[in-house]
Amino acid sequence: MSKEKLIDVKNLATYFHTEEGTVKAVDGVSFEIYPGETLGVVGESGCGKSVTSLSIMRLIESPPGKIETGEIIFDNKDLTKSTQKEMRKIRGNDISMIFQEPMTSLNPVYTVGDQIMEAILIHKDVNKKQARQESIDMLTKVGIPLPEQRVDEYPHQLSGGMRQRVMIAMALSCDPQLLIADEPTTALDVTIQAQILELMNGLKDQFGMAIMMITHDLGVIAEVSDRVAVMYAGKIVEYTDVETLYANPKHPYTWGLMHSIPHIEKDVDRLQAIPGSVPNPLDFPQGCKYNTRCPFATDKCREVEPEIEEIEESHQVACWHVDKLEEAKAKEKKEKEKE
Amino acid sequence: MINYIIRRLLILPVILFGVSVLVFAMLMLVGPYQRLSTYIKSPAELKTANLDSLVEKYGLNDPFHQQYGRWISGVLKGDFGWSETAGATVTEAVLQRFPATLELALLALIPVIMGGINLGVFSAVHHNDPWDHVTRVFSIVGWSIPTFVFGLVVLMIFYGVLGWFPPGRLSVWASDIIRSSEFVQYTHLNIIDGLLNANLKVVGDAIRHLVAPVFSISILWWAYILRITRSSMLETLRKDYIRTARSKGVKERVVVKKHARKNALIPVVTVAGHMVLGLLGGLVITETIFGYQGLGQFFASAASQLDYAAVLGLALYFGFLLILINLCVDVSYAIIDPRIRLE
Repeated sequence: MSKEKLIDVKNLATYFHTEEGTVKAVDGVSFEIYPGETLGVVGESGCGKSVTSLSIMRLIESPPGKIETGEIIFDNKDLTKSTQKEMRKIRGNDISMIFQEPMTSLNPVYTVGDQIMEAILIHKDVNKKQARQESIDMLTKVGIPLPEQRVDEYPHQLSGGMRQRVMIAMALSCDPQLLIADEPTTALDVTIQAQILELMNGLKDQFGMAIMMITHDLGVIAEVSDRVAVMYAGKIVEYTDVETLYANPKHPYTWGLMHSIPHIEKDVDRLQAIPGSVPNPLDFPQGCKYNTRCPFATDKCREVEPEIEEIEESHQVACWHVDKLEEAKAKEKKEKEKE
Repeated sequence: MINYIIRRLLILPVILFGVSVLVFAMLMLVGPYQRLSTYIKSPAELKTANLDSLVEKYGLNDPFHQQYGRWISGVLKGDFGWSETAGATVTEAVLQRFPATLELALLALIPVIMGGINLGVFSAVHHNDPWDHVTRVFSIVGWSIPTFVFGLVVLMIFYGVLGWFPPGRLSVWASDIIRSSEFVQYTHLNIIDGLLNANLKVVGDAIRHLVAPVFSISILWWAYILRITRSSMLETLRKDYIRTARSKGVKERVVVKKHARKNALIPVVTVAGHMVLGLLGGLVITETIFGYQGLGQFFASAASQLDYAAVLGLALYFGFLLILINLCVDVSYAIIDPRIRLE
């Protein structure tokens, strides 16, 4: 892609220094987002995807959290070196964020309108009346019926889906270049999930912003993303465009994730889950962090951690044994043909 | 909300009736001859008087409903009976002491609530840094020292040694002024009356007498409110909507004062309600130490002398106060948190 990068994250590492030890929540992550595209970040709970997004916003609680190394280049500036004052001008204005829990993400003691207006009044040169009108317009855009009434209601008077729409309205009220959506649909019913994703896709085109979509749901990724970064234990293990990822996963972890999705057309007795669980961040295994769960792990994997490398054009993988996975895939294909 | 308040106020007499029956029943557990002691002025009388006829005369052996009926019919006419302890009617005795208690309570409330809340917020914002530790140690110490110890130490230092803050409510010369014909007692709150009469000497003297008791009550409640506010603030600052506010680019000061503090106040309001009740109900220990003629001291001596007309009257006063303050607390909840609807 020849377009200029909107945000360029280089080798970001965010650690939490707790009493039990150092948690390397994000440990050397690099990715970029181009204007107007959606980057999906997928991984299990605790893989560092939320910490990555909060690091970009510089909202990591410090102490215990700290951005140890890396750069976050946005608008020719390194956000890791920005002051909190400079960051406040960016937050909610250039980069906004929506969160997983719409039920708790809105302040219960202020009206929806107050909370949307707050962002507008901080970043735009408007008076209260104009801000209120803009809030109502935003509520209309996110598909909330009777926005003139809803604007004066409190969050508890709205359903979860409506609240997430309010969060989106708030996040988009200052026309950001990047929207970070941290599991925006996880807490919602499936039908509402689809509506919210559709709304976000629509608004993305309307506002011309980029989205960083963080989720553990590969279905969501497939629906909205242009490119995908798969994270495991604080690192990106596979990074490519969405078609390639689904058609040709190269990392055993991605492959495992794909196998654990139920398919309606396939009749299987048992889903293939990835064995074991995410390693304790205080005690990551030596070498490749996936070696404890990987079917292809060798001594090399247990000793040396693979760096992420471009193995095909715009397809990066961090694995020593991409060939072994290919063999397994071929074998699987053969078996299927036999049937 | 108005409907709710009116309904609660309409229930008030019913609850007060219940309170009075209960307290009256408890007092009835004390034998008629023991209760007669209220009417005996001196031990000498015991020798001469015919106790049986006195019990008969005052109807102390009558069935419960008759005795209660006599008392409550008086109350309905505004007569709460005669208090031996005060040497006045119960109504007079309470009205005479209430302004003293009110003045003490009002003066203590302001520093306690404002100071306690602000320090609590401050402590929570500076979580785990040296300032937080200082406030925490201060609040633990403040909350741990009993009033009778702290009050005595204050009295010893500031009156005994330094002679700055004398006990009592007013100096003799000031009492003479407020009783004189030129001085109009509008409210019976000495500070306010002094201001209204443009007599700053009286104001100064009233304040001088209030400093020590207010200080020793304040420390205790201050520490308590501080602790409640601090823990409530710490919890609130971890809430998702605080992160949302920060992600909008809201200044940290505004995050704390607008988004967090209002949410954190709910448990504080409950405690503040208890405190107001405690203060207006009278502070037995503080008033006794500082020789301050308030309701607390009156209640304590009335109870210890079986002055049951006074005890009953004060019980009704407490019931009334409790209901009123709970109502205020409920209304404050509804004002702070829109999720709480008063139905």
